[in-house]
Amino acid sequence: MLNLEIMKSNLLKYTFITSFIITLLFSTNGVAQELDASNYKIRFNLKTVKQSDNSRLLEVIFFGQNKKDRKDKVPVFDAEIKFYNDDTLLGTSKTSNEGIAQITVPENQTYIKDKDGYITFKAVFEGSDGLDEEDDDVSIKDLHLELNLEEIDSIKTVIVKAFTLDSLGVKIPVEEADIIISVEAMLSKMKLEEGTIEDGEFEFEFPTDIPGDANGDLIVYSIIEDHDDFGNVIQKKSENWGNFQNQIVKEENKLWSEAAPIWMYIVLTILLVGVWANYVYTARYLFKIKKEGKQLEVNTEKTN
Amino acid sequence: MNLENRKRELAKEFSPLLEKTTKTSKIWIGFLIAVILVGVYAFFLQLFKGHIVTGMRDNVVWGIYIINFIFFVCLSYSGAFISGILHFFKTPWKNSISRIVEIITVLSLIIGPIFILLCIGRLDRLHYLFLYPRIQSPITWDIIAIMTDLIGCFIYLFLTFIPDFAILRDNSENAPKWRQKVYKFLAIGYQDTPEQREKLHKVTRTMSAMVIALAIVAYSVLAWIFSLTLQPGWNSSIFAPYFIVAGLYSGVGVIIIAMYLIRKYYNLEHYIRKVHFIGAGIILLVISLLFGYFTFSEYFSRWFSHKIQDANLLNTLFTRYFWMFIFANYIGVLVPIVILFFKKFRTIKSITFAAVIAVVGLWFNKYLIIVPTLETPYLPIQDTRPEFIHYTATWVEWALSFAGVAAFILFFILIMKLVPIIPMSGIIDNERDQKKNKKVYKKIVTE
Repeated sequence: MLNLEIMKSNLLKYTFITSFIITLLFSTNGVAQELDASNYKIRFNLKTVKQSDNSRLLEVIFFGQNKKDRKDKVPVFDAEIKFYNDDTLLGTSKTSNEGIAQITVPENQTYIKDKDGYITFKAVFEGSDGLDEEDDDVSIKDLHLELNLEEIDSIKTVIVKAFTLDSLGVKIPVEEADIIISVEAMLSKMKLEEGTIEDGEFEFEFPTDIPGDANGDLIVYSIIEDHDDFGNVIQKKSENWGNFQNQIVKEENKLWSEAAPIWMYIVLTILLVGVWANYVYTARYLFKIKKEGKQLEVNTEKTN
Repeated sequence: MNLENRKRELAKEFSPLLEKTTKTSKIWIGFLIAVILVGVYAFFLQLFKGHIVTGMRDNVVWGIYIINFIFFVCLSYSGAFISGILHFFKTPWKNSISRIVEIITVLSLIIGPIFILLCIGRLDRLHYLFLYPRIQSPITWDIIAIMTDLIGCFIYLFLTFIPDFAILRDNSENAPKWRQKVYKFLAIGYQDTPEQREKLHKVTRTMSAMVIALAIVAYSVLAWIFSLTLQPGWNSSIFAPYFIVAGLYSGVGVIIIAMYLIRKYYNLEHYIRKVHFIGAGIILLVISLLFGYFTFSEYFSRWFSHKIQDANLLNTLFTRYFWMFIFANYIGVLVPIVILFFKKFRTIKSITFAAVIAVVGLWFNKYLIIVPTLETPYLPIQDTRPEFIHYTATWVEWALSFAGVAAFILFFILIMKLVPIIPMSGIIDNERDQKKNKKVYKKIVTE
């Protein structure tokens, strides 16, 4: 009781601080901004990536985007997404805190294709109390990327072959597609070249100044990004093409050598010559003064 | 008034300073000689028994000898710097203090390097420094700088003395023969003819510019002896300008103290006036602000970066050396600033007091730069005797330090017995200039 009284009197005493704290409490908790789904446009995007081991990643990004402030994006998390190939269920996954749901379909999965060879993937969210049903689909051809790292006449060359297979298993070269050649770097992939696959082939002379890891190994990527017909396709290969050398740099401290660096001799000589020349100049004048003094003495003696 | 008569008059006025020796001054000289003799005894003790008689050991290899060395050498450089500026810019009130500054410059440059010799464990190998010099070594630079500077300062001092030697040569008929001979020899036939005067002024002016440059170079080299090492507390890029400012701080302080003592004991109130103290006090104020800024900047960056060795060093400074640190870097800076900042505090005594605080503070500042750093090396000191870790100066070191100070004062007194502390030629030059200005003024008026 006594404590309460003291507290009360303290609160009254520090009116300004008390009112400031109350304002803060209200501003953070009391007037919290309400999330209203009608202000947000729901985005539901399906993406497919054919990975280097020929498995296929299916990924949905599910978020709400503020209609007025497009930078304001709210991810929809814990939403169950079903992935289909036509009507065949490939798998289900729940969106993460970032609103991303993924499944990896193994290489040996057989897909249903249409007459032109297109595979249609579909992702479906069946809706909840607050959100409507959403779906998205992509149709792509199954592209095969062959990445070869060869030394042709001692030139390290990256050769990429891109083709699709018809129903009989015959390779049909890709007419034209943009491609990116990268190497694995410390934090991300470092882009080396952007080019175009023509008639199913792309060649690139690999630079000679990339160190690679401690063993000189490096991982080369060939990437096709967001292609209308093929989606995302990544292929990678490791090769000992790096020129990493654990260079033992022998630190030579010039100051431990027998002779000093040449500039030291030059600077010291200039300084000393400058100073001593001035001393000699002064001494010369002093001798002149002495000579004049003697002359004056002789003259005075003569006149006396 | 006839110029020769005026010279005679001045020689007569200052002759008691040169010739008469009072009982007090005899006792004082006797005391100084006694202190020096104790120092000589301590020196021989150190020479025969080795550095074991000092507080210096394996880790703390530099003690108060090196602090005295830096202190005296800084004093000398600042003296050269100030003297050069006084001459070069023809400062109006330079005449009263220029000789004090010049004597301080040369004496401290003689006394200072003696202390570095005391630091050398094997004096018998001293000549190796000259036989096998390494141009790469800052120690070699310092030897070259000190020797060149010493010669330069001697020449400069001699140049400023010549006209007074000439006046004394012509007006010391009653002086002992040896003194007359000395004056005749040192005056090098100077007769104060317009040609001779012009020649002398010319070389003095050139030499004054030279000693300013020399002081800056030599100061920096001295600072580099420390800052070019990687030792915590020494490896600093601002050490060279910091040493220059610190040297000027102690230099101006010692000049003020010398002015006070000379004014008081030689009754020179007519020549060394309050205006000189106020002028020097304001210079001390400006330098104390600069010195405080440099000191703060130096320690602040060490504290903020918080490298382990720097943190250990600062910890030592704020524990074992707490009061010394407070005196050197707070009292030694703030007290002079407070005294000199307020006009009503600017009396001769208070300005001198501020100078004493500044000089003592600066000596401690140098102590704190040298010793604590050596006590906190990169490799921790383990399993050793306490005296190998912590440095304490022994009576031998103190005896030699006081002997150095005593020698400085004694030589100062002896030089004052040879030439007047107020340059007579300067007084005559001033009077000549005043006459010339009057003539020019009259001419302009009549025209």
